[in-house]
Amino acid sequence: MTSKPIILTASNLNLGYQKGNLINTIAENLEFELKKGELTCLLGPNGVGKSTLIKTIMGQLPPLKGQIYLDGKPIQQYGLREISKKIAVVLTDKIRMGTLSVRQLVELGRIPHTGWLGSLSPTDQNKVENAIEATNIKYLADRSLSELSDGQLQKVMIARALAQDGEILLLDEPTAHLDLVNRLEIMRLLKEIANKENKAVLITTHDLEIAIETADEFWLMPCGSPLITGLPEDLIIQQKLDVLLPSQSMHFDKKTGKIKGKANDSDIIIKGPEFLKKWIESALAKNNIFQLPENQFLSIKESPFELDLNKNGESTTFRSIRDFVDYLKQGSIS
Amino acid sequence: MKNKPPYLLFTLGLLLCLLLFVLNLSIGSVHIPFGEIAGRLVGKPLPKTSWETILIEYRLPKAVTAILAGISLSVSGLQMQTFFRNPLAGPYVLGISSGAGLGVAILLMASSAFGWLLYQGSLGIWPIILAASLGAILVLLLMSLTAWKVKDSMTLLIVGLMFGAAVSALISVLAYFSEAEQLKLFTIWSMGSLGGSSYAQLTGFSFALILGSFPMLYMLKSYNAMLMGEAYAESMGVNISRLRWGMIISTGILAGSATAFCGPIAFIGIAVPHMARLVFKTADHRVLLPGSALAGAIILLFCDAISQLPGSAQTLPINAVTSLIGAPMVIWLILRRNFSKEF
Repeated sequence: MTSKPIILTASNLNLGYQKGNLINTIAENLEFELKKGELTCLLGPNGVGKSTLIKTIMGQLPPLKGQIYLDGKPIQQYGLREISKKIAVVLTDKIRMGTLSVRQLVELGRIPHTGWLGSLSPTDQNKVENAIEATNIKYLADRSLSELSDGQLQKVMIARALAQDGEILLLDEPTAHLDLVNRLEIMRLLKEIANKENKAVLITTHDLEIAIETADEFWLMPCGSPLITGLPEDLIIQQKLDVLLPSQSMHFDKKTGKIKGKANDSDIIIKGPEFLKKWIESALAKNNIFQLPENQFLSIKESPFELDLNKNGESTTFRSIRDFVDYLKQGSIS
Repeated sequence: MKNKPPYLLFTLGLLLCLLLFVLNLSIGSVHIPFGEIAGRLVGKPLPKTSWETILIEYRLPKAVTAILAGISLSVSGLQMQTFFRNPLAGPYVLGISSGAGLGVAILLMASSAFGWLLYQGSLGIWPIILAASLGAILVLLLMSLTAWKVKDSMTLLIVGLMFGAAVSALISVLAYFSEAEQLKLFTIWSMGSLGGSSYAQLTGFSFALILGSFPMLYMLKSYNAMLMGEAYAESMGVNISRLRWGMIISTGILAGSATAFCGPIAFIGIAVPHMARLVFKTADHRVLLPGSALAGAIILLFCDAISQLPGSAQTLPINAVTSLIGAPMVIWLILRRNFSKEF
């Protein structure tokens, strides 16, 4: 198996802002390789420098130390126009101009390739058409931007970036402000674009679960230490995702694929179907209930749902978990 | 952008513009029949020589001035609205018109305030044009200095507004100390006037218009990219600082020369680009630039026709007419459509 071509590399990269003699370093010693044909997710807490990294890759911010190499050449040696033919972006700014139609916005993506007046050649037209088809927004093409939902607008912005036809697509939080279905759809779309159109797609996101499902590569950006890169599942097994969590009180649970509080394990004995047990444990953990008085245990019946608290042969029945939790809490107060 | 150029709208606009042009030549204290003027334009001589003088020496320069000023002001307004992504931006916001006003105020009123004598009526209108240009250039230089130091467009906009306010205050101080006669001269200038231009002035104005439009024509595509904001425009290869300089120089020349030649004319710069957007239903600057220019010429010709007060020898100040027509028009446009979404 041949490995995928690397389009962007950096080593010993320091990011930050320089104003006069004042240097504000945001991230140090970054090292990465961005591959074509893959969806790469950049994850990290707010303020760790994800957006700064994006800006530096776009060539809008010079690195404080080190270099980013685009196709083997330092990015600072490219002109703005040259970069714009290689890298297209989707930013977090909302574009909602009513006088602009979806197709016109996608056509704006061709600006780096057109002449002085920006007239579209047949090649440009084709690229626009392809971008519209690849993002499944043909039915929206003639609508005005102000008529779109957030999810539709995001697809249109992705189409515009595709039309710009760079080898790299950078997206800053493309799934923020979207509902669950739209988040899934956008991520699947990005994955498809990476794989089918052979683009290097790099996104920043806070959507860990969906990212695990879709990403080919993770870049984890913890505070004050270098990037950790790898296949998401490898990183999970190596327990590396914990670097994203600031405090010791939380950890990434390998079994469930979720972030959990480092709580004491529950000592409560529950008898009943496994899938119901899980939710009862979850509800009890939320209420900080990890053990029952001595000689007491729970048994669950599936349908109709019933929860029995057994105490020395006697049992109390509850119709819902809430009733049970309320009962326990009352007990602890009195 | 693929939508076909709206040739029909442009043809209608040009016809309307021509119609208003001839109408402007026809009306005034002496009525010259419409047909006679149309005939004169295709080469037939007029029946009265006095008409010929009135037409060639007064009305033709005035109508041409209206067209030039209309184009200058609306094109500079269009650039500012797109660059600042602010529907309220116009030639006044960068303080350029106020700067021109300061130049003229110093020329006309400083004599009594400081005891200088800068202006003698014998030199005609040229010293006023020169003073206005110098004032506009001064503010332009200050703005350029700010633009060089500050990279944020919103800051630039606010600084421009503050310059305008400070300059207006200076004018008030000058007006307070000046004598009644000079104050009246300045007040008349500040009401704006399309008339009184010689052909030499028209040549100068036309030259300024061509020179000032050049930066926008050259960067037309960048203005389309700016529809998505600075960050996106930069990601599409637009050099923002070059665009900013181009915008400052272009609007400085256009709005500065219009104010120098005609005095301040309100509302054209803000209202006309919005009208062009609504009429042509597009955000594409390849349509909006000629569209705004055409609409600007039409609106200013129309305002001038109204200022003639048909059937009367009196004329109203053009600045008052543009405001009286412009303000209700903008209000109507805003109420009719969802303005912020259209922008």
